[in-house]
Amino acid sequence: MLDVAPATPFDPKDYLRLQYMPHFMCPGCGHGIALRALLAAVHDCGIAKDDLAVVCGIGCSGRVGGYIDANTFHTTHGRPLAFATGLKLARPDLTVVVVTGDGDCLAIGGNHLIHAARRNLDLTCLMLNNEVYGMTGGQASPTTAATRLTSTTQSGAIEPTFDACALAAAAGAGFVGREVTRQAPALKTLIARALRHKGFSFVEVMSDCTEVYGRKNDLGEAPEMILSQKADMRPEQHNDAPNQPFRPNALPTGVFVERDLPEYGARLRAHAAMIRGDTAR
Amino acid sequence: MRPLSQDDIAPTPWPVTTGMNILVVGVGGQGVLMISKALALMAQRRGFAVKQSEVHGMAKRGGIVFSHVRFAEQVWSPTITRGEADMLVALEWAEALRWLDHLRPGRGVFIADTRQIVPPFACRSRKRGAPSGYARETPAEIVGRHADGCALDATGIATALGDSRAANTVLLGRLSAWLDYPVAEWHDVIAAIVPKGTREINRKAFDAGRGWTPPAPDADPDLVAAVPDALPDRHVGVAIEAAWCKGCGICVKLCPERCLAMDGPKAIVATPSACTGCRVCEWLCPDFAVTVRNEGVPA
Repeated sequence: MLDVAPATPFDPKDYLRLQYMPHFMCPGCGHGIALRALLAAVHDCGIAKDDLAVVCGIGCSGRVGGYIDANTFHTTHGRPLAFATGLKLARPDLTVVVVTGDGDCLAIGGNHLIHAARRNLDLTCLMLNNEVYGMTGGQASPTTAATRLTSTTQSGAIEPTFDACALAAAAGAGFVGREVTRQAPALKTLIARALRHKGFSFVEVMSDCTEVYGRKNDLGEAPEMILSQKADMRPEQHNDAPNQPFRPNALPTGVFVERDLPEYGARLRAHAAMIRGDTAR
Repeated sequence: MRPLSQDDIAPTPWPVTTGMNILVVGVGGQGVLMISKALALMAQRRGFAVKQSEVHGMAKRGGIVFSHVRFAEQVWSPTITRGEADMLVALEWAEALRWLDHLRPGRGVFIADTRQIVPPFACRSRKRGAPSGYARETPAEIVGRHADGCALDATGIATALGDSRAANTVLLGRLSAWLDYPVAEWHDVIAAIVPKGTREINRKAFDAGRGWTPPAPDADPDLVAAVPDALPDRHVGVAIEAAWCKGCGICVKLCPERCLAMDGPKAIVATPSACTGCRVCEWLCPDFAVTVRNEGVPA
């Protein structure tokens, strides 16, 4: 892992499985921007493709990994963190990135998220939050903001949402940050910091679902949606007004938590060595 | 682009003894299963072993429906893998394109209805007359270039005969031109599986399909391709890979110098000289279609 970006310029084509391009995502989908930012961050950190493992769940976000020319793993719904935990423990030399979605990570896999954060294993979890289950037809997810229309909230959502970053931080993650796809270069920097962080890093990417969510809620077409992201975010101000609603008009971005905590893999190996030493004696 | 000629679609019937893999595709409610049932029954009557497997029930229109029909002296697997279909019968144009890679390279026969059923997800804007994300490949680009066979307006033919629902039988008739079985037997098979009241229209539709000939190609098709202006040799520049562009319009709206513009369904570089190499479009293109060249600002 490099501390400074390599001299060679970043070309996403070096990191993509070109035979599958153009990818399947809808026109204007923010997941493509997040994918680019992830690849740029991988390039910045100087991680060789063979040393990178991308584990994905199910959903639009779950398809992101398949386009990356690295070791990729398309797993069951909600369980990419569980698969990644096993992978990282067996192969601590790999950089393991989990790409998951708001439904995958917070609803179906909510339990895995809090426990992965609690253990603080050296994983980077990228949660692409488009506030909806896009692939299955636009059902409400745990991050669908109040009043938003989805196919399961035909007269507007009424449930409170999860603040995924607060959840991960409270569960014990070592690194927590959030960025919008509109700020793609900042997103790249954030992901690169998360990749370099030793311990569980959680990055929430606010992505746009243009075709399902945007259309249903009359949020305009892809350019209007991405432009409105800027009005929704308040960089680094999350501490000033903790009681502000999560969305739509006060979205804190930036790094919320960065702390050095004991890393689980190292602890486990030390523990195993200790036990083995005991038995030998 | 080679215009469609009579030679392209002249069927060379397979001998009666040969087994075949036939893939029938469409969207729900079009009669994919009726075609495959007719084929299976026909093959059975000719003494072949037949296996047929399908995805059906997408009656809401828009769902993919397909049916694999395999017949030979002995058939083991019920499905046709990529590149193994001898014939592809498509009841809808985008489905025809979607399954094109299943056709046997070089000698697979492609038979498609050119009628388009635009799925809701392809409609980017709900404004009337707005362009949709539907497949842009035209029949002339596919038939004769990527596959041999024919693309016909089967729905139009069936509507002219009195019932648009007989479009599947029109395609079955077209398909029968490649199979060296007597017409009377086909009529028999169709009569056996269609509802009684529709036997007449289905017979007529079958004959219309079997006897279909391509319309004379346009004398002077407007095929003049626009020659893009060469980029001036500057240290900055922007290029768009048209094959990857999905036309979301993000780059066009967010370019501070307004270098880019929409040209129909795709973004193009309208004023390359205005590019300052800021890379906003490159960062925000979800489809990796924009490449900015700027030695000053690293990617």
